[in-house]
Amino acid sequence: MQATSRREFLRVTSGATAGMASWLALGRAPAFAQKRELTFLSWNHFVPASDDELRKQADAFGKLANCEVRVDTIAHLQLPAKFAAEAQAQSGHDLRLSFGADPFLYENLLADVGDIIDELGKKYGGWYPFAKEGSQTASGWKAVPWFWISFPATYNMTHFKQAGLETPKTWAELLHHGKILKKQGNPVGIAISHCADANSTFWSVLWSYGGKVLEADGKTPAINSDKTAQVIEWYKELYQDAMESEVLSWDDASNNRCILAGKCSWIHNPISPYNLALAKKMPIADEINHHNSPGGPAGIHSAPPINLIAIWKFSKNVQLAKDFVRFLFQKENYDAWIVASNAFNHPPLKHLADHPIWARNPKFAMLPKEAEYAHERGWPAKPNAAVQLIQVNYVLPDMVAKAVNGMPTKRAMAWAEDQIKLAVQGKLREAGA
Amino acid sequence: MAVGSRVLEAAGLVRPGRLARIREWWEQEHVFGYGLILPALLLIVCLVAYPFAMAIYFSLSDYWVGSPGKFTGLQNFRDILGNEIFQRTVYNSFVFTSIAVAFKTVLGIWLAMLLFRSFRFKRLIRGAVLLPWVIPTALSTLAWVWMFDSLYSVVNWTAIRLGIMSPPGPNWLGMPNYAMTAVIAVNVWRGLPFFAIIVLAGLVSIPREYYEAAAVDGAGSWGRFRHVTLPLLKPVLAVVILFSTIFTFADFNIVRVLTRGGPVNTTHLFATLAYQVGLDGGNLGQGAAISLFLFPMLAAIVFLQLRYIRKE
Repeated sequence: MQATSRREFLRVTSGATAGMASWLALGRAPAFAQKRELTFLSWNHFVPASDDELRKQADAFGKLANCEVRVDTIAHLQLPAKFAAEAQAQSGHDLRLSFGADPFLYENLLADVGDIIDELGKKYGGWYPFAKEGSQTASGWKAVPWFWISFPATYNMTHFKQAGLETPKTWAELLHHGKILKKQGNPVGIAISHCADANSTFWSVLWSYGGKVLEADGKTPAINSDKTAQVIEWYKELYQDAMESEVLSWDDASNNRCILAGKCSWIHNPISPYNLALAKKMPIADEINHHNSPGGPAGIHSAPPINLIAIWKFSKNVQLAKDFVRFLFQKENYDAWIVASNAFNHPPLKHLADHPIWARNPKFAMLPKEAEYAHERGWPAKPNAAVQLIQVNYVLPDMVAKAVNGMPTKRAMAWAEDQIKLAVQGKLREAGA
Repeated sequence: MAVGSRVLEAAGLVRPGRLARIREWWEQEHVFGYGLILPALLLIVCLVAYPFAMAIYFSLSDYWVGSPGKFTGLQNFRDILGNEIFQRTVYNSFVFTSIAVAFKTVLGIWLAMLLFRSFRFKRLIRGAVLLPWVIPTALSTLAWVWMFDSLYSVVNWTAIRLGIMSPPGPNWLGMPNYAMTAVIAVNVWRGLPFFAIIVLAGLVSIPREYYEAAAVDGAGSWGRFRHVTLPLLKPVLAVVILFSTIFTFADFNIVRVLTRGGPVNTTHLFATLAYQVGLDGGNLGQGAAISLFLFPMLAAIVFLQLRYIRKE
């Protein structure tokens, strides 16, 4: 047995401590593997086959570029916390899914991808207008629009036929039809509650009536207007005469259940209820159809969920990550991915949207058109941090909920304006203004 | 090894005294005691003190995700105090906590008294009572979401069939008072076993003789409860109520899953609002400030209750 001398003990332990300290400082375990690894943090896709196809393509890219590509997917509600942690640690994945205000919140931490944007735009006939709204910050393009999820009207054809009605072209027509349909026992279903759908539909209606939440500068509240008042009055009437009070309690799945149960005649939602009915062979699938989101005096506008890919600036593999994005956007790869998602993933590039999968099914044929109406939340402002706060605090649906519960329209608007001012204030200080 | 260290020492195989000296030093009471506490202390520093200090730092800055902020003093606190949603949250938290803890106390004592009796399958049932407390809240609350669903509510369906409610029944998660009732009901359902089991432990420790003496003095069952059970349970009750108040005040899962703070923020609690603003919204500074509001309130509750316990 050899006793360790004090000197030796100190030497070894201080060495180990210093080693550990450097790991801690770097925030990562020492690299033993020599092969480059590229990592991508994304969400659990609503259509799992889409993620399978993505992983298949990641493997294919790995073989081409002689690297290991790892795609990690987690529940989308957990992503914001995970992104915040990676930003804090300045370490984590190379590529990440991005949405909403992310390119603006993380502006200084994301790599510029303007070169990919130019390249792909030229190759595929240009980006839809919403691409610029959500990905281009003051300091350049911080994300590549990846896919958007159409948010059309879903309706029950039998209910409409029974009432002798055509599908509504405008929100005003929907109100008119809804009154008749509710008497028939088939109310309209638009959530006025703390859920994502409630936000999406409100933006759509507000824009169609020419209203806005913020001016284009992104900091001047613009909610208090005649246009908004009109929208609130429309909601009040719709709530009274064409919907049931349950919409005040809805989550994102409630309207799906309502139309699949054969109760609701019309909802505003992605195409998931129809896909679910098909997958589960529910007879109601034959009765469900889609039509384009309704419009108003200021045209048709919609606020579909838009997903982007961004690259962390702290990534050691920015060039490789860019090549991976280019690879995903090769026509044969992107097409295969659309097919895997069963037409759920819509391309943000015009020529990629020509895929026959939509034209083939008459119930999907109108979906690609929705891209022309699409905007990022906040439009005409950018989807900045203030818009994000307005969204996550459900200020807009709450304004409507207050009004339908009896608060005078003017007071409800004033309440929302206060909340919007507070949201903007928080961000202005940060920007040093 | 059969040979003792002293023998080795004597043979000159170990440098004399080093090991022994270390052991002697280690076995001193003050060194040994602190040595044992050290791991726990390190854990507390890393997992409690450090995050707490960070939260204080965040709350005093305009820290957003992705952009380290500047020191802004108490601006975050001023902002949230002036915000109607936060004011509503403070009100909700007090309503939620006081009603839920009151129900848990009364029902918890009741349940404990029932479990205290002898009956068949006593052990099995005592174990089963703990289930709501043991199941992860996020999961069990999902079951409650179904029960309160606007279209398929089991609660409403049953009550309508029994003729207690007229269709369609209450809009549980869509109307402020009903939603608060629903959230409180789930919290009571979940927290009750904790209460009952600890009170049960208190009941078991009350000597039988007191009851016999009280019975001899002519006390009925209510009299025995009031004059024997309750006074002797007081110390246990004080501790359970203290813990329960803290847990209830800081509740997150139930509201997050059941109502997401809705309808119109009438069920938001500190933790859910802090998460919404700080992590969903990215405003870490303000999120931290909201969650720090829990601290002085809980500290006050703890202080009052501990003083009460010490007095007893």
